[in-house]
Amino acid sequence: MSTPISPLRILPAEMQSAALGSSSVSGGGFADTLRGAMDEIGQLQSSAETKVAGVLEGHGADVHTALIAVEKADLSFQLMMQVRNKIVAAYQQVSQMQF
Amino acid sequence: MNLFGMLEMSGSALGAERWRAEVVAANMANGETTRTAQGGAYRRQLLVFRAQPMPRFPLMLARLRKGVADGGVRVERVVADASPMPVRYQPGHPDADSAGYVTYPNVNPVMEMADLLSAVRAYQLNAAAVQAAKSMIQQSLQILS
Repeated sequence: MSTPISPLRILPAEMQSAALGSSSVSGGGFADTLRGAMDEIGQLQSSAETKVAGVLEGHGADVHTALIAVEKADLSFQLMMQVRNKIVAAYQQVSQMQF
Repeated sequence: MNLFGMLEMSGSALGAERWRAEVVAANMANGETTRTAQGGAYRRQLLVFRAQPMPRFPLMLARLRKGVADGGVRVERVVADASPMPVRYQPGHPDADSAGYVTYPNVNPVMEMADLLSAVRAYQLNAAAVQAAKSMIQQSLQILS
């Protein structure tokens, strides 16, 4: 008496379809992701600007809140610049390819 | 927890400690105040802090999208110190009772100074944590370059 062993499948059907679906849905690709990130950084920067203005105009905003907002905007911008540098470097490598 | 979770937490603590220093300053300013809006002498004010819970995983995803700060601290309320109020014999004072005693605030300058130092040190502590978080993020940015 032995129980039958179920056959192995490389990928379940639902996972295959999901993988195909996701690749076909995200048509925008990397440019859209980057644009989204840049929008987010823009929001962070404008919120930092509002808070710093609030401190300077004496609306009772906290100094540390404003400075942390500035720091967040700065770090996000640095991250965005690093990603952009990497993309440009990769693009240049591809464009200088010799056949 | 996102990239800025630590910054948010330390930021909430900075706000709470600043508030504590403000309350200490109010207590010291009103150390001799015998008239208040509630009537009677000023009562020493105290802050009650409450820890913001660290989220469980399903909540964490939802909050990440909303950008809500997790962890950290929040000032729950400001309460009056219920300790006994000292009285001084000052018969000429307009707030003296029929026996000539004036009730004064239960503010002890020595305790307030200790509280103030403690608030300032705690603020420094959390500012150092902000610096540490910032340098950690910058270190991780160095990975890519």
